[in-house]
Amino acid sequence: MIAAARAFPTLLRIAVAEMVAYRAEMVIWILTATLPLVMLALWNAASAGGPLDGFGQADFARYFAVTLLVRQLTGVWVLWELNQQIRTGALSPQLLRPMNPLWWQFAETIAAIPWRLLVLGPVLAGVALWRPEIVFVPTLAAAAGFAVSLVLALLVAWFVQCLFGILAFWFDQSLGLFQVWFFVWALLSGYVVPLPLLPTSVAAVATYLPFHASLGAPVEVLLGFAPVGPTLAIQAAWVAVLGAATYLTWNAGLRRYGAVGA
Amino acid sequence: MIEVRNLTKTYRVPLKAPGFVGSVRSLFSRAYKDVEAVKDLSFTIQQGERVGFLGPNGAGKTTTLKMLAGLLHPTSGAVTVLGARPQDRDSAFLRQITLVMGQKQQLLWDLPPRETFELNRAMYGIPRAEFTNTLDELISLLRIEPLLDKPVRNLSLGERMKCELAAALLHRPRVLFLDEPTIGLDVEMQVQVRQFIAGINQRFGATVLLTSHYMQDIAALTPRLLVIDEGRLRYDGALTELAREMAPERRVVVRSVEPALVPLGFVEDGGKMIASVAPEAVNAILARALAAVPLAELGVEETPLEEVMGRYFRKEAAAPPPEGAA
Repeated sequence: MIAAARAFPTLLRIAVAEMVAYRAEMVIWILTATLPLVMLALWNAASAGGPLDGFGQADFARYFAVTLLVRQLTGVWVLWELNQQIRTGALSPQLLRPMNPLWWQFAETIAAIPWRLLVLGPVLAGVALWRPEIVFVPTLAAAAGFAVSLVLALLVAWFVQCLFGILAFWFDQSLGLFQVWFFVWALLSGYVVPLPLLPTSVAAVATYLPFHASLGAPVEVLLGFAPVGPTLAIQAAWVAVLGAATYLTWNAGLRRYGAVGA
Repeated sequence: MIEVRNLTKTYRVPLKAPGFVGSVRSLFSRAYKDVEAVKDLSFTIQQGERVGFLGPNGAGKTTTLKMLAGLLHPTSGAVTVLGARPQDRDSAFLRQITLVMGQKQQLLWDLPPRETFELNRAMYGIPRAEFTNTLDELISLLRIEPLLDKPVRNLSLGERMKCELAAALLHRPRVLFLDEPTIGLDVEMQVQVRQFIAGINQRFGATVLLTSHYMQDIAALTPRLLVIDEGRLRYDGALTELAREMAPERRVVVRSVEPALVPLGFVEDGGKMIASVAPEAVNAILARALAAVPLAELGVEETPLEEVMGRYFRKEAAAPPPEGAA
C-alpha cells in the first residue's frame, strides 16, 4: 500500500501520456455515456405542461446536467480491460510485477478525468445556453459534500466493475452479467429517472443500494435534496464492502487463473 | 535454489460440440475434460545455472515456467524458487525473478519503451541512481538507444523483443525464466539476444531457465538440458551427453556431388554428399574420399541437434523410459 502510494504519481503521469496517445478513441468512449442528455430532452417534453412531482423543466435541466457531469467523472472502463486481459492472458506480464495490476488500471481511470472534462465542457456550455437556469451556486456545505460524495461514487463504480471483471476468472460471460446489472443500475441510480419521481417505497429502498451510491448520491447532495451525512455514510459503507469483496475475489481468482493461453 | 517436486498441473477444459446446437447444449450442461499439462515433474536447478527446457508443442514447458514464476497455481506437488513458494506472489520473490514471454508483452503499445521502463522503476521501487545505471548498461548491451523514444507500435518484432528484455531486467532479477525469447526473430537478432542472455548470466550470475524451438538457442546457451514430453520429464543432463548417446556418429560431408563416392557409403543430399559413420571410422573414410575430391570440399560435422531430438522423441514414442531414468 505504501509502495503503491509512492509509485502512484509516476503511474498517473504515464497513464496521462497513454490517454494522449488514445485521444480519438477516448472522445468516442466518452460520448457513449451521454444518455442524460437524451433523458433531459424526454423529461423536458414531459414536464412542458407543468411540474411532475415538483420537478419543473428547469429542475430537470439542472438534474440531468449534474447527472451527466457525475456520470462522466465517475466513468470506469476497468471491467472491459480486466475481462479482456484475463481471457487472453495479457494479465500475465502485469502479474509478474510486485504491485497489484489494479493500481495501474486505477491510474488509467483517473488519467481519463481531464479528458472527460475537456469533452464535457462544450456539451454543458451548450445545455447552459439552452437553459441558463441550470447555472447555480451551491452552498459551501453542499459543494464540500459533493466533492467527497463524488470520490466515493467513483470508488463504488470502480469496485463494482472490478468485481464483474474479476468474474472472468470463472466465467466467459461476465460482460453479459454486467449488462443485467447496468439495466437495474440505470433504473435505480437516478440515471434515467430522478429518484424522487419513483414510487416512495422504491425510492426509499434505492437510497441504500450501491446503484444510487455510484451516481445519484453526489447529484442529490449537490442539488440539496439528499441529507449529506447519511448519504456519505451509505456510500462509505458500500466502498468498504465492495473493496473487501474485490480484494477477496481477486485473490481467489488468481488461484483460478490460467485458462489456456494465459 | 529452484526445487520442483512431483509438480502436476491439470487444466479443466470445457468441451463444446460444434455448431449452434452444440452451443445451446453447452449452455445447460457443460462437459469438461481434464488435461494434464504437467505430470509429476521433479528437478533441481542451482544458482547461476543455465538450463534449456526442450520438448514438442504442448509438452508443458510454458505451464511449468508459469508455475515457477507464480502465475499459475500447481494442482499438486511443490515448487520452491529462492526459498519462496511462487504462487504466494510475495513481493520480495517477484522482485528477484523475471519471466520473458516471446508471445506476450509488457511494453505499453502506444508509448515509447522509455515509459514502460519508468513504469517498472516505479512499480519495483528501484532507486533512481540504480535504475539509471542498470538502464544505461542494458541500452548499450542491447543497442536500443535509437528505439527508446519511438512508440512501441512502430518497432519491429526484434526491436520490441530487445526492449522487452530490457524492461524485464531493470530490477536485476536473480532468476530469468525465458519462454521462447527468440521466437519470430531473424537469425542476426537471434544471435544478439543469445549473446545478451549469456552475458547477463555471466555478469550477474543470474540463473537462466529457457525454452525455445530453436535448437541453436539451446546449443549456444544451455549446457544442461531438461527434456519434457506430454508433461513428463524425459531427460535431465548435459546436452553433449544426449547427443553422444542418441547420435554418436559423425557426418562426413562433401560439398559437391561426386558419384564416385557412392560406393564409400555417401548419399546425395541437396547438392552435397553425406556419409554417417562411427567416430573411429572417420579417418579411414576421409582418406579414401580424398582420393576422389579436393580437401577443400571435405568436412566433418556432428549430427544437427534437430536430428538428435527427433531421434530422441521417436525412440521415446516407441518405448517410454523405465522409472527413474530421468
